[in-house]
Amino acid sequence: MDHFSLKRSNAADRGNSNLSSKVYVRSTKSGKVQKIVRELYLRRDIPCSSNLCRACLDIAPKDYTNKTTSFVLSDTPAGSKNFPNGQYLVPDTNAFLTGMDLFEVETAFHDVIVLQTVLEEVKNRSLPLYHRLVALTKNEGKRFYVFFNEFRQETYISRETGETINDRNDRAVRQAVQWYNTHIKDAVKARSKKQLRVPSVVMITDDKENLRKAKAEGIPATKLSDFVSGLENADELLDMISAAQDQREVRSKQTQVFYPEHYSLSKMTTGVKAGTMHQGIFNVSPYNYLEASVHVPTFDKSLLVLGRENGNRAVSGDVVVVEVLPPEQWKAPSTKIIEEETLNKNDNAEIEDGETIISEKERKALQEEVKRAHGQSSEGKPQPTARVVGIVKRNWRQYVGHIDRESVRSTSKSSRQQQMVFLVPMDKRVPKIRIRTRQAGELLGQRVLATIDSWERDSRYPMGHFVRSLGELESKGAETEALLLEWDVQYKPFPKTVLDCLPAEGHDWKVPASTDDPGWKGRKDLRDLLVCSIDPPGCVDIDDALHARKLPNGNYEVGVHIADVSHFVKPNNAMDKEASQRGTTVYLVDKRIDMLPMLLGTDLCSLKPYVERYAFSVLWEITEDADIVSSHFTKSVIRSREAFSYEQAQIRIDDDSHQDDLTNGMRTLLMLSKKLKQKRYDAGALNLASPEVKVQTESETSDPVDVQTKKLLDTNSLVEEFMLLANISVAARNYEAFPQTALLRRHAAPPKTNFEELANQLKVKKGLELRSDSSKAVADSLDQCIDPNEPFFNTLVRIMATRCMMSAEYFCAGTQAYPEFRHYGLASEIYTHFTSPIRRYADLEAHRQLAAAIDYEPLDASLQSKSKLEGVCKNINVRHRNAQMAGRASIEYYVGQALKGKDINEDGFVMKIFSNGFVVFVPRFGIESLIRLRDLATPEPEAEFDAENYVLNVKGDVQRSVELFQKVTVRITDEVEESTGKRKVKLTLV
Amino acid sequence: MAPSQPAHVNLSPAELSFLRSSLSQTPPIRLDNTKGPRDFRSMIAEYDVLPSTNGSARIALEDGTEALVGVKAEVEKSQWRPNVEGRHTLSVAVGVDVDMADDDGQEGEENKGKGQNGWIEISVEIPGFREDDALPVFLASMLTESLLASGELKDRLYINQRFHWKLGIDVLLLSPPLSYPLALLSMTTHLALLTAHLPALKSEKDEDPLFDDDWDAAVPLYPKHDAQGGTNVDKPPIIVLAIAVGSNIIFDPCKEELAVADAVLAVGCAPSNASSTGARIVSIRTIDPPAHLTPPAVPNSMNSATGGVAPASTADALTQRELLSATGVWTPPRGGMKRSLISQVTSMVVGKGGVAEEVIAALQAIEVG
Repeated sequence: MDHFSLKRSNAADRGNSNLSSKVYVRSTKSGKVQKIVRELYLRRDIPCSSNLCRACLDIAPKDYTNKTTSFVLSDTPAGSKNFPNGQYLVPDTNAFLTGMDLFEVETAFHDVIVLQTVLEEVKNRSLPLYHRLVALTKNEGKRFYVFFNEFRQETYISRETGETINDRNDRAVRQAVQWYNTHIKDAVKARSKKQLRVPSVVMITDDKENLRKAKAEGIPATKLSDFVSGLENADELLDMISAAQDQREVRSKQTQVFYPEHYSLSKMTTGVKAGTMHQGIFNVSPYNYLEASVHVPTFDKSLLVLGRENGNRAVSGDVVVVEVLPPEQWKAPSTKIIEEETLNKNDNAEIEDGETIISEKERKALQEEVKRAHGQSSEGKPQPTARVVGIVKRNWRQYVGHIDRESVRSTSKSSRQQQMVFLVPMDKRVPKIRIRTRQAGELLGQRVLATIDSWERDSRYPMGHFVRSLGELESKGAETEALLLEWDVQYKPFPKTVLDCLPAEGHDWKVPASTDDPGWKGRKDLRDLLVCSIDPPGCVDIDDALHARKLPNGNYEVGVHIADVSHFVKPNNAMDKEASQRGTTVYLVDKRIDMLPMLLGTDLCSLKPYVERYAFSVLWEITEDADIVSSHFTKSVIRSREAFSYEQAQIRIDDDSHQDDLTNGMRTLLMLSKKLKQKRYDAGALNLASPEVKVQTESETSDPVDVQTKKLLDTNSLVEEFMLLANISVAARNYEAFPQTALLRRHAAPPKTNFEELANQLKVKKGLELRSDSSKAVADSLDQCIDPNEPFFNTLVRIMATRCMMSAEYFCAGTQAYPEFRHYGLASEIYTHFTSPIRRYADLEAHRQLAAAIDYEPLDASLQSKSKLEGVCKNINVRHRNAQMAGRASIEYYVGQALKGKDINEDGFVMKIFSNGFVVFVPRFGIESLIRLRDLATPEPEAEFDAENYVLNVKGDVQRSVELFQKVTVRITDEVEESTGKRKVKLTLV
Repeated sequence: MAPSQPAHVNLSPAELSFLRSSLSQTPPIRLDNTKGPRDFRSMIAEYDVLPSTNGSARIALEDGTEALVGVKAEVEKSQWRPNVEGRHTLSVAVGVDVDMADDDGQEGEENKGKGQNGWIEISVEIPGFREDDALPVFLASMLTESLLASGELKDRLYINQRFHWKLGIDVLLLSPPLSYPLALLSMTTHLALLTAHLPALKSEKDEDPLFDDDWDAAVPLYPKHDAQGGTNVDKPPIIVLAIAVGSNIIFDPCKEELAVADAVLAVGCAPSNASSTGARIVSIRTIDPPAHLTPPAVPNSMNSATGGVAPASTADALTQRELLSATGVWTPPRGGMKRSLISQVTSMVVGKGGVAEEVIAALQAIEVG
C-alpha cells in the first residue's frame, strides 16, 4: 500500500523551502475566535537597498516601466566612535517605542533599516507610533528603508518549539542584522578589491538579553542611550527618550502604590456590555482640575468623577470605563474654582517619599465640597458620581507647556546634571508632567513640547519626556505654534505630492476662451450676469458671489455662485486627501492656515473681480415676498463685477446717487434678505450671540494695537441669509439624490436639562422666564430677556444661552432618521454646508454630491460608502471645533498682547459665580476672566455664598456683595503669571 | 432500526455458504487468511492534515477506504439557564452523598455537569449518499452518542456562564463505503479529537472570553496529563465493530465477512478512568447484518432441474425450508444475538489487554511518535 500524505511535505526540502506558514488566533469584534493560517512564500528578490550593493540591483523587482525603485541607504553612511566605517542602524521594536522622537530628529539617525518584524510589532503596540514610523520611512532625507525580512528566505526564521513570540522576533532581528552584515561585506568586496571601508549594520536595542545574545553571536549591537551619547547635542537628544522604560527599573524598589489597578480589558468589556460599567470620554472641568465628567450613552447627564483617586490616572480626553459609586458618595457639582497650581505649588518632582495622591490641601478642598453638597439638598441635588476603573484608549498627545520654575533644583545653564522637573501644560485640564532633563536651565522660560509616556500606579503624576522647545515664552512664533499644536492644526507646508496636483499653468490658468473646450462641458455661461462678492475687508479667498435681477413676470432671479473647487480638487488624489485631513482653513489673528494650497484658494478658485471663474451656481426664482418659486443648480462660468467689503457694500447701498444695475441688484438682495430673515425668525430660528472681537494690528509688524468688537452691518446678514438659503436648497437636493450618503449638517435640540440652570438664574435674579420646549420658545423668550437699564443684558443672556446648546455636527444622511436632521439653531429641517468649499472640506464633498445629483459628473466611490463618509464627518467635526478653538485662543493671546502695559477701567458683567470667586465678562474686549476672592484683598476675605440666590457676600474689609448678571466696573491690567510665565489679562474689581 | 446496506454484496449463495463455513471453523479462517479473529486491517493514519481546523486526522485502510475528520471549535453564547447556578445549592440540600460523588475527579471541577449535548455537532458525509439518508444520519448519531456518553467532553466545552465552545466535527468518507465504515470513522474522529486544540483563555470567570492570539499557547481538548500530572485522563471514545459467525467472534470485518455475519455489534468504549488498563463501554448497538437480506439458495431437493420437486406454493416452500437441516446450502441467518455471545464480545473488547485498549494505545502512539 503506498504511503502518501495529505500534508504539504516540507520535510523533504527542509531549510530550502520557499514556503512557510504562520498560525495565530484571531478574535473578531463579534466575538468569533478563529484559527488563522497564513501561507508565506519566501523570496530571494527583496533587495537590501544599499547603494553599495550591485547584486541586489539586478534582482530587485521591476515595475511596469521596467525600472526598479531607487535604493535608499547611502553608500557612505555616517560613522561613530565604535563603528568608524559607517553604520546602518537596525533598531528593534522597543527602540522605536521609546525613542520615536529621537528618530524624527533631522540631524541624526540616517540610514536606518526598519525590519518588517519590527514594523509589525510597533503596529501592534501603538498605532500612532506606527503611523509616525511609516511617515518617517517616506521622508526621503532620513533614508529609512523597510526591509521585508519575514519574506526573504535568508532572513526568515520559523518559531522553535517553546520559544515565546518575543524571543522569536528578537532572533529574527538578529538574523536579519547578521545577514545584512555578511551581505554588505560581500557587496563591498564585489565592488572593488581595494575598498576597505565596510559599513557595519548595527542593532539598536535596550533589551539586555538580546544584547547578550547578540554579543555571543558576534552581531554588532548597542544600547539606544549609548548610541545617542556619542552624537552631537546628546543632552537634548537624551531627554527625548521615553521615560516609560527606565522608570520601571528605577521604581521597582519602591512599592508604594497610589492608584488602584485598572481592570482587565475583558472585565471592562463584559461590564460595559452588561451595563454595570460605562464607557465614555474623560473630560476634566476647566475650572476644577479635580472634577471631571464622563458622558456615557446610558444616562442623559454626565457622571461626575471627583478627585485624583477616582480619576485613577485618566488624562482628559482618554476613553475610560467608569463604575457608578454608591449614592452616599454622590455630590453636587463644584461651585468652587480649584486650580492645580495653587494647591500643589510645592510638590517636588524629584522626591516621591511621603507622596499621597491626595495632598492634604486637596483633601481639604474636597471635604468642603462634600459639606456643600450635603447642605443644599433641595437646590443643587447631589449628582451621581463614578470612579474610573480602567482606560480603554489613551488619547495622549503632545502637550505644550512650560517648566515649573519651582521644580527646578539648579537653574545653572552650564550644569549638565539630569534632574526631574515638572512641565505645566498650557491646558489646565492636563496634570503636570514629570520629565527628566539635562537642560533644565535652558528650558526655563521657554515653550516646551512634551509627551506623556506612562502613568504608573506608584506615581502621582504622569511621566513624560521632552520633545522640543518652541522658543521663548510670549514670543509670537512660539505662542502661535503652541496653540496650533494644542489644537492639533496641521500647519506644515503642503508636501510636494499635493502641489503636484495643481494645474500646471499655475497663476496663468484661465477659463478656456473657446466654449468647445471640455472645461465648458455642462457649464452655463453666466458671464453676463452682474455678479459681485461681499466679504470681510482684505479677504482673498472669495468663496461666494451673488446677483439679483428682476424677471419680466415681476419675480426676482437670485443667484448664489460658489467657487467651483471640486473642478480642481479631484477625489482621492493627494491634494484631496490632505484637504480632508485638514478639514478646514484655520484663521488666526495674523495668520491663515489654508486647507488648500494658496494657488487654488486665493487665485484659481477665488471668485476674484473682473476675471472669469468657474463657479457652481444656485439660481432661484423668488417672489416679492421672498417665497421661493423654483430653484436650479448648475455649474457655470461667471465674471464678478466687483469685490466689496461689507462696509463698502453698505455705503454703496445707502448712497442713493448710485443707481446702476449692480447696486440696485444689491438693494434687491438686501430687501429679500430681510424678508428671509424675518421668516426664519418666525419659524423659530435663534439669534444667538458670541463675543466677537477684532484685533487691529499694525500692518508691518502685525503687533496688536487695539481691540474692537466686531460691528455687524446689514450687508453681513444679506450674505448670510442667501448662504443659508443656498445651503438649505442644496441639502434638500442632495438628500433627494442620495438619501443614504448625503453629507449634511445637523444641530440637535439641546436636552432640557441644559437650560435648567440658566432658566433658574434668570428666574431668581431677574424674574424672567426662559422657556426651552422648542427653538421658537427659546427665541421668543430670549427676546423677552431685556433689562431696560442695561441694553447689553440681552446679549449677555444670548451668549450664555449659546453655551447651553449642543454643537452642530456633520453627519451622513443614512446614519440618522429624518427628524434628527433638524438644525435647531436655524430652525431648518435639513441643512448642509455648500458655500465655502475653499475653506471647508464638507462643502467640497457637498459640491461633488450636488454635481452628481444634477448629472454633471459621476459620483466618486468614496462618496457612496457610508462608512467612509462617516469617517470623513468624524474628522471634519473635530477639525472644525479645533479650528474654532485655535482661532479663539489666538484672539485671546492678541487681546492680551494689545492690553500689554495698559491699565483701563471697563464695564463688565458677572457671568458665573463660585463660592470663592466669580467670572466677569468684559464686552468691550470680549474677554472673560476669573476674579478670585483672594484677588480682592489679602488675606483672602471670608465670604458667604448664597447658591440659591447666586449672591456672594464678601465680608471683611471689602464688604460688598457680588451677584449674577451684576454690572461691575473692573480694572484691566496685565500680569505675568509667576508660575506659568504667561501673560494674562487680570481683572480686579473697582 | 437497521440502515440499508451501503453496497450490495454480489456473492452467489454458494460463495456465501463457503465463506460462512470457513469463518465458523475453529479457529476461523478469514478472507485474509493471514489475520486472526482479533486482528484489524492495517491502516495509515496521520493528523493535523487540515491546517486551519482545530484538529484533524486522516486514516486510510488497506482495502482502500479512507476517512478525513476535521474538528472546528467556535465560541458561542450560551442560553441562560437558571438551574445551572441553582444546582450547587440544590446539591447541598439533597445531601452529602451528592457532594461526595462529585469529589472523585479533581480537575475541571467547576465545569462539572455544565456541558450540554447540543454543543457537539457531528456531520457525516459519505459519497453517493444524501446527508439525510439513513446511513449518514445513523452513523453520525452513533458517533455522537458515544462522544456524549462519558459527559466529560461537553463539560470541557464550558467557558463560563454565558459562553461555551461549540464543537463541529465534520466526518468525511473519502472512498465509497466498501465495508461498514463506522469503526473507521470513529477511529479517525478519535485521532482528530485527541490532537485538537482550543485557543488559550485569557479572561477570567464570567467575563466575555478573550483568547491568547498565540496558537502555540493553545490547550489540547483532551489534556495529556491531569491536574496531578498523571496520565490517567479522559480520552475520546472509539467504536469497535464485531461480528458473530456461529460461535466465533471476529473483529473488524471486511465487506464480505460482514455479508455472512449472524449478528453485528458496535461497541463504543472509552478508556476506563478507574485504572489505566482496560476500557469501559459507553455505548453498544446491534446492527442488522446484511446477511438477513440475501436470497436463500435453492437446495437440490427443491429444484426441479436437479431432480427435486419445486414447492407448489410459498407456504409450502417455507415449510420445506424449515425442515432443511444445515446441509451446506446458504440460508440467511435469522434472529438476534445470543446474550452469552454479547457478553463474550464485551469482555473481549473491554477486558484487560482487550481490543479497545489495544486500538486506543495504537492511535495514541501515532500522536506521540
